[in-house]
Amino acid sequence: MAKRHGDDIALCLVALVLACTLIFLVVPIIISAGMSFDARPYLAPFPPPDLSLQWYERFFSDPYMLRGLRTSLVLAFTATCVSTAIGTVTAFVIDRYEFRGKEVMTAFFLSPLVVPGVVVGFALLLFLSFVGVFDGFARLLAGHVIITIPYTIRTTLAGLVGIPPSLSEAALSLGATERQAFWDITFPLAKTGIVAGAVFAFAFSMDDVAVSMFLTDPTTYTLPVALISMMRANFDLSIAAAALLLIGVTLALILVLDRVVGLDKVIGQGIYRG
Amino acid sequence: MKATRTTLLLLVPATAAFVLLLAFPLFNIVNESFKLFVPGRVGSAEDAPYTLQNYSELLLPAYFNYYFTTFRLGFLASVIALAIGFPMAYVVARMRWELGRKLSIGFLIALMFLSVLVRVYSLELTFGSVGVLRPVLRFLDISQNDRTYTEWVVIAGLLHYIIPMSALTLVGTIQNVNPRLAEAAMSLGAARWKAHLTVTVPLSIRGILSAFLISYTLCISAFVVPMVLGKGRVLFVSNLIYNRFSEIANYPGGSSLSVMLLVVSLLIVYLISRISIRRWEGG
Repeated sequence: MAKRHGDDIALCLVALVLACTLIFLVVPIIISAGMSFDARPYLAPFPPPDLSLQWYERFFSDPYMLRGLRTSLVLAFTATCVSTAIGTVTAFVIDRYEFRGKEVMTAFFLSPLVVPGVVVGFALLLFLSFVGVFDGFARLLAGHVIITIPYTIRTTLAGLVGIPPSLSEAALSLGATERQAFWDITFPLAKTGIVAGAVFAFAFSMDDVAVSMFLTDPTTYTLPVALISMMRANFDLSIAAAALLLIGVTLALILVLDRVVGLDKVIGQGIYRG
Repeated sequence: MKATRTTLLLLVPATAAFVLLLAFPLFNIVNESFKLFVPGRVGSAEDAPYTLQNYSELLLPAYFNYYFTTFRLGFLASVIALAIGFPMAYVVARMRWELGRKLSIGFLIALMFLSVLVRVYSLELTFGSVGVLRPVLRFLDISQNDRTYTEWVVIAGLLHYIIPMSALTLVGTIQNVNPRLAEAAMSLGAARWKAHLTVTVPLSIRGILSAFLISYTLCISAFVVPMVLGKGRVLFVSNLIYNRFSEIANYPGGSSLSVMLLVVSLLIVYLISRISIRRWEGG
């Protein structure tokens, strides 16, 4: 009897903690989504008495924000393409071939995952000024490529591990060249891992603040950097509108991920940092 | 397959990117961190003499506050995230209802993908000066200017990312623990909570350690969360590095701090991975 009693209490306690956690995780986001439709012209307590789209209008008519949004999208797209190309090739070589120093090299390629973003940004800033790279976009691209490559290498590696090498060996023994074996056999099978890596790269590039803060210049800055400086100045609700926009981007990426990989499978893959 | 020279050429782009954009810059800040800084300049002079001054400055009592805040709040957040993430992962991992399982995992992944800006902004709208909780706080007589309160808001900011992350990491771990073992303990008379505490938890200890390790390294290098939610009162080492750069252009000082943060992060990763390997693989 005592045993069951203890179990009941423990179960209730755990259920209570989990319920509170869910509230903590979800409710703030609902609040800021709701506030973005606030009709009042100033920041006032939740809930908004009237709804309007004024904050969205304000966000989309603010040249400062739009410039940040455009830079962010172009940058995330370019960085994703570069990282995915480099990551795919690298993961393929690591997975298929034996060479000296392979372990060290793999660890080196995954190392940005444990280097704090601020350190990457600061170090890159000093180095790029030292060698004379002052173009804002080039500097941002350098930073975003280095922080996204580990994700593309990791997820591509995870995708390649499941493909038996015997398949491409069979193609080779039947007379295919290495290039044909790669493009006709390995690449189509590894596509899910590659796309997943690209999705991660895009998401992390769109979200980065710590690295970008150091590498922006007055005319080239990303949306998160613009939002942060706005947040520090005043807590305008057009940030809430931008937040809802970013949530939309997140959901779109999740849908892509589900379509391509299936969310269940992501669990077994390298989405965890570190 | 043995690698030929042409296949190794394929590693050139990645190697070049990492050497140019990571290794050189990091060596450069190590070098910079030993240079003498003259206040008022931007960075160090090209012919500045080498000195240990930037490192001895790290030992100033004024800095200890930052280290202590960073490592303490990071630790608290990581422990809480594990305590909540484990049962959460357990529920998801053992869910029989396929669609529910898929939706839960999708929900956790969506939370992880959420932009950090959305997080801090939403939490500020909830816990901040115009927040929903304001009447509650006033009723409980908690001042929002209180340092302890601000610290907990920062912890909340960290938790918002690392709870879903720990839970997702642990789902995979718990899936690999045979449920029959805990059932056996229960049929031999153990209470359910005790069976989990003595069977399920020890069997997933490697996953738990790695979830902790990931959370902790993420927390101590957090930048946006303390910057926005800390309101200038609760600052982490990352914020200090940024201030060295943006406010007083003391690059050597920022470099020595960066080197310290980097070394500590790498050390934690190394130590914990050693411990977990030795303890649980019998090596």
